[in-house]
Amino acid sequence: MAEHTFAGLTCSDVQDLGAGFVLGALTPTESDAVRRHLAECPELHAEMAELNSVVPALFEAVEPVAPPAGLKDRILAAAAADLEARLATAQQAAAPSPAEATRPAPPARRAVPTLPVEPARGWDLGALLRRPVWAAIAAAALVAALALGAWNAQLRDEVAGLETYRNGVVQVLDAAAKPGAQLAVLADPNGAAGPTGLAAVGEDGGVAMVMRNLAPTAGSQVYEAWLIGAGQVPVAIGGFQVGGSGSASFVTAHAFLGEGVVVALTLEPQEGAKTPTMPILALGTARAAQSS
Amino acid sequence: MDRLAGGDLGALELLYEQFGAMAFSIAYRITGDRSAAEDVVQDAFLGAWRNAGRYVDARGSVRTWLLSIVHHRAIDAVRRRRPTVELPDSETNLPDSLTLPDTWGDVELRLDRDEMQVALGTISVVQREAIELAYFGGLTQTEIAQKTGVPLGTVKGRLRLGLQGLRAALMPPVDGGGGGG
Repeated sequence: MAEHTFAGLTCSDVQDLGAGFVLGALTPTESDAVRRHLAECPELHAEMAELNSVVPALFEAVEPVAPPAGLKDRILAAAAADLEARLATAQQAAAPSPAEATRPAPPARRAVPTLPVEPARGWDLGALLRRPVWAAIAAAALVAALALGAWNAQLRDEVAGLETYRNGVVQVLDAAAKPGAQLAVLADPNGAAGPTGLAAVGEDGGVAMVMRNLAPTAGSQVYEAWLIGAGQVPVAIGGFQVGGSGSASFVTAHAFLGEGVVVALTLEPQEGAKTPTMPILALGTARAAQSS
Repeated sequence: MDRLAGGDLGALELLYEQFGAMAFSIAYRITGDRSAAEDVVQDAFLGAWRNAGRYVDARGSVRTWLLSIVHHRAIDAVRRRRPTVELPDSETNLPDSLTLPDTWGDVELRLDRDEMQVALGTISVVQREAIELAYFGGLTQTEIAQKTGVPLGTVKGRLRLGLQGLRAALMPPVDGGGGGG
């Protein structure tokens, strides 16, 4: 191996520090230097990858210790709150200001930079279309403006969905924070992509639920939520329809069915289903939302 | 991982069900404190949840990726108890083990605890001690030298030879050569 020097370290130095590097036993300054050397050095430093390959096996040397029962719910609740914050940020970033949403001028201005129009007066599309040379460009600008309008409509739909979901998450987390409440995370029972959401089951049996990634309902179709208690008999607790936003939330009163109730969601052809129509779109088991 | 990156809470739950117990065991082994271990695991899973998009498939299994984050955060927690230590920025830096290519693939997935114990038995006590102080104690190799009263060069040698010994014990025999280095 040829000897190179990068980040103040020769290849031999890096070799010397290799085991400490992969085990995390270097100071941050040393680690940075090794990292920079590896990034710049033409040598492969295969010895580093070989040493590193052993490191994950060290996890197997750890004595198993059972985690606290409430840890998973704490993590899921924190993730849900994190999701809410992310959605709020995305909403702020995505929401077009009214001025931007209705302003077709910028693309047209870029398309016709030498057009003798005073910018302060805005665009006169009729005048543009009367000039044959610019007619095609102006038409293109008009198409762009229409496309922008369609994009804004789609964006508004997405923002509405985000807002519905965010508000629903807040509602569910509020319900889950009450004493004796249980929280269920709903997802496809087979792990496939699809509708996901949260449901809080209160001490009194009431349910607050929020779902997203739902296909819009058509005609009399409804999404129906079910509770499955110890008796294993699904009990319908309420239905809702969904538009283009793909998100929905609802709150419903219901008798308490006990700990560990399963919350499920199906798509029914119409309201009033007594038994769920397969497949189950999303499923989750409610567990104590507060660790003791 | 795509579902996790897309903000799917069900995927996070699945991840916890698969690796939560192992993650807690590692965090507890390093911090020696259940409450601190809980915080580490929560922090690591939330970190994985936020940064799932940065997971690179070619660098190893999800298990290795996640448990390395747990390890990294637990070591960080231990080092923060020692205010004189220079601390890395745990939010932005990935564990160094995740910055290298994984040439060994998912061999570790086929291991069990007994096999690892046997492999650990093949290296010397001082090599094992040096690796444990580094990987589970959060000590730098300089600190290990001070703690064990041996020169720094000896510690480096013990770490390297220990890892090489474990690799030799754990690597399945490859017919037809190709394992040289």
